[in-house]
Amino acid sequence: MEDRRIHLQLGISAIILSLLFLVVLIPNWVSSPSNVSKMILSPLMWPNVIAGATGLIGAALLLGALRMPRLATEIPPDTDDPTRAYLRLFVLALILIVTMPLMPRLGLVWTTMGVSALLALLVRTSHPKTAFICAICVPLVLYAFFAHVAGVAIPQGNFVRLP
Amino acid sequence: MTLRKIAAVSAVALGLSATMALAEYPERAINMIIPFSAGGATDISARAISGSLGEAVGKPLVMTNVAGAGGATGSVAVMNAKPDGYTMLFARVGSHTVSPAMKATLPYTLDDFRFVTVYEINPVACAVTPASGIKSMDELIAKVKEGNASFSSSGVGTLLHLAAVMVLNEFGVENANTAATHIPQKGGGEAATAVLNGTVTFVCTNSSALANFVANGQLVPLMVTTAEPVVGFDAPTSADLGKPNLEQLVGWTGIAGPADLPDDISAKWGGWIGTATQDPKFAATMESLGSVLVSMTPEESSAFIQTQYETFRALVDQLGMRVEG
Amino acid sequence: MSFVDNVMAGLALVANIESFLALFIGVAVGTVAGAIPGMSATMAVALTLPFTFAMAPITGILLLLGVYKGGIFGGSIPAILIRTPGTPASSATILDGYPLAEKGQAGKALGMALWASCTADLISNLSLILFAGWLASFALSFGPPEFFTLILFSLTIIAGVSGDSLLRGALSALLGLMLATIGLDLIYGTNRFTFGSPTLMGGLNFIAVLIGLFALPEIIAMVWNPKAHEGKTRTLGKNWVTFADYKASFRTIVRGSFIGVFLGSIPGIGAAPAAFLSYSEARRKSPNKANFGKGELEGVAAAEAGNNGVAGATLIPLLALGVPGDVITAIILGAFMIHGLQPGPIMFVMNADIIYGLFIGLIVSSVFLFIIGTVAIKGFKYVADIPRGVLFPAVMVLCIYGVFAVNNNLFDVGVMFVMGGVGYLMMRYKVPSAPFLIAFILGPLLEDNFRQAMLMSNSSPAILFRGPITWFFWLLTAITVFAIARAGFKTIRNARAADAEAEEIQ
Repeated sequence: MEDRRIHLQLGISAIILSLLFLVVLIPNWVSSPSNVSKMILSPLMWPNVIAGATGLIGAALLLGALRMPRLATEIPPDTDDPTRAYLRLFVLALILIVTMPLMPRLGLVWTTMGVSALLALLVRTSHPKTAFICAICVPLVLYAFFAHVAGVAIPQGNFVRLP
Repeated sequence: MTLRKIAAVSAVALGLSATMALAEYPERAINMIIPFSAGGATDISARAISGSLGEAVGKPLVMTNVAGAGGATGSVAVMNAKPDGYTMLFARVGSHTVSPAMKATLPYTLDDFRFVTVYEINPVACAVTPASGIKSMDELIAKVKEGNASFSSSGVGTLLHLAAVMVLNEFGVENANTAATHIPQKGGGEAATAVLNGTVTFVCTNSSALANFVANGQLVPLMVTTAEPVVGFDAPTSADLGKPNLEQLVGWTGIAGPADLPDDISAKWGGWIGTATQDPKFAATMESLGSVLVSMTPEESSAFIQTQYETFRALVDQLGMRVEG
Repeated sequence: MSFVDNVMAGLALVANIESFLALFIGVAVGTVAGAIPGMSATMAVALTLPFTFAMAPITGILLLLGVYKGGIFGGSIPAILIRTPGTPASSATILDGYPLAEKGQAGKALGMALWASCTADLISNLSLILFAGWLASFALSFGPPEFFTLILFSLTIIAGVSGDSLLRGALSALLGLMLATIGLDLIYGTNRFTFGSPTLMGGLNFIAVLIGLFALPEIIAMVWNPKAHEGKTRTLGKNWVTFADYKASFRTIVRGSFIGVFLGSIPGIGAAPAAFLSYSEARRKSPNKANFGKGELEGVAAAEAGNNGVAGATLIPLLALGVPGDVITAIILGAFMIHGLQPGPIMFVMNADIIYGLFIGLIVSSVFLFIIGTVAIKGFKYVADIPRGVLFPAVMVLCIYGVFAVNNNLFDVGVMFVMGGVGYLMMRYKVPSAPFLIAFILGPLLEDNFRQAMLMSNSSPAILFRGPITWFFWLLTAITVFAIARAGFKTIRNARAADAEAEEIQ
């Protein structure tokens, strides 16, 4: 992406974010006790300052972008096929979302084996066999280390417990 | 081949857990949650007892720090755990009597836990710097009444916060929660440092957190909240000063499980603690940290904690200190 | 007792196999633990603590110190090799270390990290021995107003790590400041952005944010374009740091070490800001300014000198005042107390033999760090040869385990995933992640100290100008902001001139 578009989009997002905080998030989700004597000590003060500053920076980015010249030449995309790239990102997001509820139920070891194998498939690894063996071994080795050397209670899940 | 390997491993694991399910509690390692970060008073106390307690239990104890929000994060984790005795909590005065008394927004109450023991009691001491020129509680109270004293704590709703207010209240200061300015710090260490560098006038905290500074002459103790004098603290006890109510104001560490913990498991813990606290090495470690070893049964510990909670709650309600938001 | 007597007494205490063995094992354990993301130096020290209960005091404390020193260096290994900081302190090392590894110079970067670490460690230890008393009294004059001004000054580091757009750097910093407000308010104990969830009451876990922000975007970028790195060599090769490289960065290393010593001797700042401050100073002074962040060896040297400079200096407030500067020294303080020792001014009189024994052990630890570090780099270098399609899925698993282990909380793994997404978006939009991190660390400190100062003075701002220390930092901040503004205007003017030229040509 060229700088002009980056600044344009960043500027707009920053202003939206700033408004979101000032109008919705801070009034609803920051509680301030009734006995605050001075405004400067209130828990609301600092988030408001940050949100305000974000809006200002957003405006500056926007102004800067409008003053930048348009580039005559297009910058070539950084991937061969954007549609498939977006599809891959979507699948990755899906994998990570599913990972969350699986971890306590299946246990960390089995879940991470799946994540690792799927990730290797997703990036079309050039060494599928090695990647597959790693997907099995790495979680087991890490489990052995964290559970037995570092003494961490790694979640085991409801089905198969490891020693 | 790898698939077959998994199948073999899981078959073995399944077989193991099937045979072990018939055995008596505890049949595997117990996860002990410490709701404070590594290096804190609770953490050191928990890790000190883990050796002798582990021997008494006969299975490994996995020490797990789940820190955050003044002990609330770890406590919630145990509250929501299965009451099978494999997830237990190191409960502490701050997270289990002061916070429930002071914080309306706390995601748990005392009824969400079943206490199996209290094994350690820490006296509370109040201290100032030598540079402040304050030499007794009376002088401190006079300064507070003048309206230019402040105290530090390790955060709102911690033992240090409540201790200072309770002490001032007992000594007849009106509106004890606002008479001296409360300047909260990030942690107990920072709270002591704040007195040391003159940010605040005084601090009331566990004697163990001050022992080092008192021994080095950097802080002057004004009072300890026990009936008996505390070794190394050349200061009157609350009994000497005629304030026996302050004896309720002590720190403690205990062990708790989720509310539905069965009776037999609770009874087992009572027995284990009895054995573990007999260990001379553990006793020596705790004494060098300035703690008093006790060994309360499940019933005694519940009663002790409930009484302390009610004392604190009465004070909080009287002064209108409850944090609502 | 004279100095020589003290040294002899100390020597008598440590000159045995056990002490040196404990120190050696400590450094080795620390290096390995530091190299595992999530197993920070703090955690390694906490896990070692129970083993020291049964040891002689000096042996146990040397073991802990060894773990601490090893851990701080060990963190740089994954920072350079897989863009995952092993400990928070090594996040500044990523900025130039990882680009160097991408260029096939991982060996050089690791070597420089080790040499800078050992040098800084030595300087830090010597400062402890020579200036402990003086620096300790200085540390005690830091109340909330002084902290506030120091942190305000430290926030100007953001300009130094913003890359080519100050505005994007500032945006990144503001995001970090905002996310750091999640959790309980310090002064009133009320909820901020917790959305009714008890897990959010403790705030976002720092390590989860850190790993999400740095390690995951690299993995996501590979999912976006798996073939981007084909044909590029990414091997350690025969590339090793040369003495000429070391000499070229020597001034930077010494400067970084003293920045580390200074920030380390003040309790409560920690190693990560020191590393970033040292880095941004090195960049400001360097003739190769433009190459920083793209694989400049001096950047690695600066970052590692900064964070290792802290390691010895945090012992200054600990030994001289009994005040722990961070979590690690708090654990070490616990170890002292368990052995019936009470760090503070009296300890220098009563237990001078132990103090001097520790000093001797510390000096030796720098040498051990060099030996073990060299071996560790040889062992870990094969990571650089692993093809990405195999390495990255394994890194993902490592991050999940590591982030879970920090606080034994699966929620943190979710935080890491979300921050990975945020980090990837920032990468696509060329928003630098280092300012985010600095703001995330310093933001809460700035706010808390400001409000504490206001509580002290009954809301009179005059307290922020009390004493020479506050004035010094206000002045320093003003000078730095002025310099940044001037440099910024210059860039804009140059860019305009370039645009005008380009238009003329068209």
